[in-house]
Amino acid sequence: MSLTFLIKRLAGAIPLLLGISLILFAIIHLAPGGPTDVYADNPSVSPEALQQIITRFGLDKPVPEQYLLWLKAMVTGDWGLSIRTGRGVLGEILARLGPTLQLGGMAMGISLIVALPLGTYCAARRGSRLDTALTFLSFAGISLPVFWSALLLQLVFSVWLGILPSAGMKSIGDGSLIDRLQHLAMPVTVLSLATIASWSRYIRSGMVDVLAQDYIRTAYAKGRREWGVVIAHALRNAMIPAVTVIAIDFVTIISGAVITETVFAWPGIGRLFVESMNGRDYPMLMGLMMMGSFGVVMANIIADIIYAALDPRIRHG
Amino acid sequence: MTMKMTRRTMLQGAVAGAATLATLRATTADASGYGGTLRVGLSYEIDTMNVYSTGYLGDAQATIVEGLVAPNDKADYVPVLALEVPTLENGGIVLSDDKKTMTVTYKLRPGVTWHDGKPFTSADVKYTWEAVKDPAFIAESKDGTADIDSIETPDDLTAICHYNKVSPDFKSTLFTFGIMPKHLLEGTDLNTSSYNQTPVGTGPFMATEFQQGQYVVCKRNPNYWDKAANGDQLPYLDEIIFYMLPDTNTMITQLKSGEIDMIVRTPYNQAAQIAMIPGMEIIKGPLLSWQHVDFNFRNPLLADLAVRQAFAHTIDRSVLIKAQGGFPEAIKSVVVPVFALYDDTTPSYDLDPAKAAKILDDAGYTMGGDGVRAKGGQRLSFKFVVSAGLSDDENVQQIIMAQMKAVGIELVPDNQAGVAYREARYKGNYDLIYGRWITSADPVYSVFYGTDGPNNGQAYSNPKLDAVFDTLEHSLDPAVRKQSSSEMQHIIAEDLPTIPLTTNVAVIAKVKKLMNFVPNPTNMTNFVHTAEWYMEG
Repeated sequence: MSLTFLIKRLAGAIPLLLGISLILFAIIHLAPGGPTDVYADNPSVSPEALQQIITRFGLDKPVPEQYLLWLKAMVTGDWGLSIRTGRGVLGEILARLGPTLQLGGMAMGISLIVALPLGTYCAARRGSRLDTALTFLSFAGISLPVFWSALLLQLVFSVWLGILPSAGMKSIGDGSLIDRLQHLAMPVTVLSLATIASWSRYIRSGMVDVLAQDYIRTAYAKGRREWGVVIAHALRNAMIPAVTVIAIDFVTIISGAVITETVFAWPGIGRLFVESMNGRDYPMLMGLMMMGSFGVVMANIIADIIYAALDPRIRHG
Repeated sequence: MTMKMTRRTMLQGAVAGAATLATLRATTADASGYGGTLRVGLSYEIDTMNVYSTGYLGDAQATIVEGLVAPNDKADYVPVLALEVPTLENGGIVLSDDKKTMTVTYKLRPGVTWHDGKPFTSADVKYTWEAVKDPAFIAESKDGTADIDSIETPDDLTAICHYNKVSPDFKSTLFTFGIMPKHLLEGTDLNTSSYNQTPVGTGPFMATEFQQGQYVVCKRNPNYWDKAANGDQLPYLDEIIFYMLPDTNTMITQLKSGEIDMIVRTPYNQAAQIAMIPGMEIIKGPLLSWQHVDFNFRNPLLADLAVRQAFAHTIDRSVLIKAQGGFPEAIKSVVVPVFALYDDTTPSYDLDPAKAAKILDDAGYTMGGDGVRAKGGQRLSFKFVVSAGLSDDENVQQIIMAQMKAVGIELVPDNQAGVAYREARYKGNYDLIYGRWITSADPVYSVFYGTDGPNNGQAYSNPKLDAVFDTLEHSLDPAVRKQSSSEMQHIIAEDLPTIPLTTNVAVIAKVKKLMNFVPNPTNMTNFVHTAEWYMEG
């Protein structure tokens, strides 16, 4: 693991991102409909006003030229203006990134705290009744649609018990820590449920593999206690497959949890994406997708670094 | 507002089912209640609070920003910031000698102040026109700005608009949507102004907080210009909060848990469930929208009137209505019955599939072995587009397909989602399309059925109809307008470029204790006159 490796990887990401941007640009322009079709139902929209919008955003130029113009602006840090709201793309994305990171970060933190011991325990006690029960629950958690568990929680905690707000990020005129936590409780639970279920499975299977290795038997032979063996010898190695999954899941979290955000009226990135897609807001879509792509590339680099840290045999150079 | 004080029953004739509605001036002697918060759930995310550039109807905006005039519950214009609605009779509209142009004079209401305390004057009216017209301002709702050549402001309370044509729909967009404050906005970039989040208006409520994707808080304007009939200073409510709740189920949950008090677009299939919530009620109001099937005249088979007549005789509206929870109402004219210009003598086609079959037989379309009629090798099989994902529309599509199958016409679904559907409608990428139009209180029908109409994607052209549009849309004489509107409705019904099927009702869910609520069918939304709403108890 060296600095040259890092620089090489980062430099390699540049042509990759360029290629991605070209493909994304082509795809969103191939999708039927355009930004001005949103106004087709509105009788107060005059054709002249639509023409002004088209000219203003350069939508009348050929697509390759639009791409080059977008690329040129992007390189200089200008993400463009949203066609839908008229505001800067970067500003809008940053405004939505905060709530998304709050929700996603908290859900990830909780998932990791729960999934790690859960997966480890299940692997160490493979075949026990608890393992079978947890395996069953994990599959239930993976299969449970997010919108359904969200509705169920809302019904119980907001309608029946009346103790948690059913949606939104904060109460008007409040915004204290307690108030925010109350608003976070249900969306975080819903997001974590599915993540815990899948991560604990990865950790469990990684651990099961590792526990069958010769060096584990050696560790036992040295006289170490079981939990010493599992935690000190096995866990590091067992984490390697899980790191890949967690890194990729982190990207999906910054791309926004569309369904959870919609059901809980959470003002995050996922909802922004859906709104922008419905309006064919090209500059906003490109901004969001490039951010997501950048996230994927970075997550992969970080995962590689973590591999090396976990397993000294993995050398990048 | 000067509105009639009598109670009226709603909409003569066809819009049945809707309850009787009081006029806006419904304040009774026991309207004691100042105070209270009304929490409204909106099903969409407000993009901008600027009424001219939002892609949605301005529900929240209507409580804050006022125009010179506004449509009431019967889609008739009433004065707001103007003292009266200009007409030929009251001298507010003067035609030029050659009858080609007109001058509209607005006398403004004295003593009106902006939310920041500055007086509202004719300079603001002139500024609004200039700002909206400016090509640098990115906005969709610019209709009407190009029709004005200049605006004179001889004094603070008079605005004289010189039009370059005679335009009977001059009220519908500019000056109805809202007036913008010159003293705050002149010289600023309207595209990026903070006005787009917290607009300053003259309305009963003031925008105090706008949180993107979350909510808008509108607080009581203590200096509002209007008083109730009993002398009470308006408005009554302390605040109105609009929550953006993109998920319908969440909205219903919030009604149940008491976190919101009102939603204005209740899905038909949830209405019964909401009516069961204690303290809630469902109110039905008309909407200026109608559902229709349009034919694409580029397809030579559909350009044949006989085929279109077969459709008109076969589609059973009662089944379509049943499939939509019984809420829509059957119509026969493109002018929905809310409007005074609706002509009840518009011909209709009796429901008679046998007659449809005979028309097709007579026109030479013979039944083939596959159950589909054909003439000269051309099968009566058409691509039928509806908006994908709208369950009501998809159900209607299935019913129409089954009904047409019975007379030997095959319809093949080719559904498109969202903007793709709209593009198909604009460009005519369909044989048949089912959808709806929503209009302002002053609709112009040539945009749909005129030869050069921007919304005419069906390549329909009838010079006779174009001539009628020309008269209708350049005349201010009520008798002439009534006459040509009637001609228009007859021509469309006979020529059948479109089959008007049903008109909608708005299903509004609100807490029972919210009083004085009057549904408004127009694009100015139900919130166009919130000043007199109050919470009982």
